[in-house]
Amino acid sequence: METAVFRLEGVTKRYGDLVALDNATMEAGSNEYISFLGPSGSGKTTLLRVIAGFEAPETGRVIFEGRDITNLPAHERGIGFVFQNFALFPHLSVIANVGFGLRYGKSPQPEAEIDRRAHEMIDLVGLKGLEDRGVDQISGGQRQRVALARTLAMQPRLVLLDEPLGALDANLRGRMRTELRAIRERLGVTFLHVTGSENEALAMGDRVVVLDRGRIIQTGRATEIYDSPNSPDVAHFLNRFNLFDGTFRAGYFEGPFGRIPAPGARRADRDVYAIRYDRMRAVAPGSAVQGPALKATWIASEYLGSAIVNFFETDGGRVVEMEQHLSLGAPQTFEPRQDCLLTWNPEQAIVFGREAA
Amino acid sequence: MEQRFLKSVLGVYVAAFVIFLYGPFIVLTILSFQQGPDGGPQFPIIEWSTYWYQQLFGLTPPSRIAPLPFGDALIRSLILSMMTMVVSTVLGVMSAQAFRRKFKGSSVVFYLIVLGMMVPGVLTGLGTSLLANNVIGIERHWYTTAFATHVSYTFPFAFLVMLAILNRFDASVEEAAWSLGVDPWTTFRKITFPLIFPGVLSAMLFAFTLSLDEFPRTLFASGRDQTLPLAIYGTFSVEIHPNIFAFGVLTTLFSFALLSVYGILMGLSVRRARRQAMQEDIA
Repeated sequence: METAVFRLEGVTKRYGDLVALDNATMEAGSNEYISFLGPSGSGKTTLLRVIAGFEAPETGRVIFEGRDITNLPAHERGIGFVFQNFALFPHLSVIANVGFGLRYGKSPQPEAEIDRRAHEMIDLVGLKGLEDRGVDQISGGQRQRVALARTLAMQPRLVLLDEPLGALDANLRGRMRTELRAIRERLGVTFLHVTGSENEALAMGDRVVVLDRGRIIQTGRATEIYDSPNSPDVAHFLNRFNLFDGTFRAGYFEGPFGRIPAPGARRADRDVYAIRYDRMRAVAPGSAVQGPALKATWIASEYLGSAIVNFFETDGGRVVEMEQHLSLGAPQTFEPRQDCLLTWNPEQAIVFGREAA
Repeated sequence: MEQRFLKSVLGVYVAAFVIFLYGPFIVLTILSFQQGPDGGPQFPIIEWSTYWYQQLFGLTPPSRIAPLPFGDALIRSLILSMMTMVVSTVLGVMSAQAFRRKFKGSSVVFYLIVLGMMVPGVLTGLGTSLLANNVIGIERHWYTTAFATHVSYTFPFAFLVMLAILNRFDASVEEAAWSLGVDPWTTFRKITFPLIFPGVLSAMLFAFTLSLDEFPRTLFASGRDQTLPLAIYGTFSVEIHPNIFAFGVLTTLFSFALLSVYGILMGLSVRRARRQAMQEDIA
């Protein structure tokens, strides 16, 4: 990261007794794409609203381009915001929406300049030909682009996106992901993107910030987060791991699958064993397996196109997922209620323990 | 079976309601076409004529029945209603806007405002006149003291209408405007106001119509020059002629015209909103 465009220092925000943001500290470089991941209620949206100036934090500072903007009103910050519901101005046409900030903002432009820049933005987001439509006469995906063009027309150095793809269908979401990245790279601005979808966070962010109950619990590159979540909570939010409770003692983890060595365990506030869905293998019951062995019965499978996910139930009533990529050959098939033994290479597991170093 | 019974009961109820609502007006309308100048304000109709309408506009030869002395009162009432409409609506929009955020003592302020439409009008009128005469020592006029009572009466209506409208207003469009560097005042003028305009129209209509036929407050607070409702009441105490019915028909038609304009403006903005909602379903 080169120069930090933006910094949060110990920001705390409460709504009554509820702590929406708890001492949040982070930094964003120029020309960076950061995605925020967390369950609903984790404070992601509050974080963006504090940065935008829609909410005032109780403590902490917000620094933007070297200036303390904690007490600056929203319209003087020069930070763009894209809303989940797009928040387009319903009484204005597409071009008037895009030109709104240029026309009525801090430094009003001459009409010709407004027109030129609004058209430029409309071209950029691929809406040429729709300039004079009302925003009620275009589709959801097109509205998303209007919202983006309207924000980008002001040439902000920081753009906040609050679940901007949440209101779109899956197909469109995929396309807009690629376009958002491309547009951002062309303009060289910093994007802070809040999402509830772990796929979106991992796919889009140069860096991913994971939030839980108002705290930032991990920050790192997408691959770092994916390969080494630093707590059971992060592993849980990624939605890619089977998590088992048990006890970690003296380098061994004892869980429903037996007692197996767990070198390289990480310190955490509780003992949890995490193994990725696609690392699981199923063998016939009674087979001799080395390492972990978990008795389970098959319940159902789900076809994902490129992979198949099998769901098993353990004796304890837990559901365990196993993902098999179809590129690796024909997948295993199972009978309903068929008993299996699930196993995996223990070196690929991530173990959290209170006693870990 | 039960359903059919319920339906017919409701049907009768609605019919009764409509008759009570429009019956008096229909009777007045019929009687306003009574023969003149000898026909009286009762059935039967001696002969159909538009005499009383002509008399209103001074198109008939002089007779023993004097033309209605309503010209000045009508103009006064229209001016007063306009003034009341503007002031109450502005106050209503501003105070409802203030109530979008919780502030200390907001519930007390809420009841203080709403009290204006609860307090019996006669008391307000009497109180205002005593206040003006004995405490402050100013003369009463329709455009000062009566105007104040009209505002205190119609402001709560405008306020409640705007409160309901702003309650459903999605604040994210305002935040979007701020994030584009547009200051809050310009945001209000260019975004909020156009979007709440249907509500503003309703508030204006309320304030105007309530003020136009306001009687008890004006009775005590208006001083020497009468407003239209007072002038009409004044003629009752002498003798009633069908010319007053003709006048009633004309003012009602004027009200209908006002309502139609309101309806058309409202329809336009509702249609726009509906089109938008439909688009959202498709998208």
